[in-house]
Amino acid sequence: MINVEVAFALPDEQKIIPVKIEEGATAYDAVVRSRIVEVFPQIDIENAKMGIFGKAIRDPKTEVLREGQRVEIYRPLKIDPKEARANRAAKLKAQQKG
Amino acid sequence: MESILIAIFALLGLALVFGALLGFASIRFKVEGNPIVDQIDELLPQTQCGQCGHPGCRPYAEAIANGEAINKCPPGGQSTIDALADLLDVEPQPLDAEHGEEKPRAVAYIREDECIGCTKCIQACPVDAILGAAKQMHTVIISECTGCDLCVEPCPVDCIDMIPIEPTLASWSWSEPRPGVQIIATDRGHRAAVTGSTT
Repeated sequence: MINVEVAFALPDEQKIIPVKIEEGATAYDAVVRSRIVEVFPQIDIENAKMGIFGKAIRDPKTEVLREGQRVEIYRPLKIDPKEARANRAAKLKAQQKG
Repeated sequence: MESILIAIFALLGLALVFGALLGFASIRFKVEGNPIVDQIDELLPQTQCGQCGHPGCRPYAEAIANGEAINKCPPGGQSTIDALADLLDVEPQPLDAEHGEEKPRAVAYIREDECIGCTKCIQACPVDAILGAAKQMHTVIISECTGCDLCVEPCPVDCIDMIPIEPTLASWSWSEPRPGVQIIATDRGHRAAVTGSTT
């Protein structure tokens, strides 16, 4: 058995749930075991992007965990970074003109 | 002649016994590291902010144990300096302004409408308190955040605010009595007699 954590965060509510899993268990297994969906029903564990300590993982169902790792469940960005940059540039241009 | 031999053997025997005793004690009661470092580390605020010029609280604790000044920790403020002075039995000093000023405890907050998912703040965070990955929303885990300010500066879109924590009914407490302040007059006299100063 190894100890890992499963974490999910909203701006005003965050949860880190410690879980014990068998050696060789995957990130997906840990998330299921943590029953984090009971705390945050909005998590779609089949499709949500996941990662370990700030690094996204390709497939949670094949990613084998090691002792002490923190599985993080991510949320999408609210804005498109490219669009945001274009907006900022446009604003700056308008300021320089005016 | 015989009495000299008896004396030599007696001393030899004593030396062997005490030598064996010391050797046994040094193995059996071995202390890993310097225990004072642990005590100093416990008094430091564990923000890991680096404002003291060391890469974290533990390295600063080690430096203090080796004689560095105790007034370089702005997050800890005067109460930490006083506690350290009490532990190390030195005079408390005012906070060294060169390393920053004492501010109320705060936590970082990311404005989600502006976050572009660049991971710069995640790399800066000394305590892994920011959850997120490249092109995914970044969120501060408030219970892990030490309020160290290190994530604010790297953010390219300036979307991180430091929000001071207002004491609530649940978290408010009496401020601790300042250590080192003598309450009883006779103690003051005793301390003056011991240290030779009148504080």
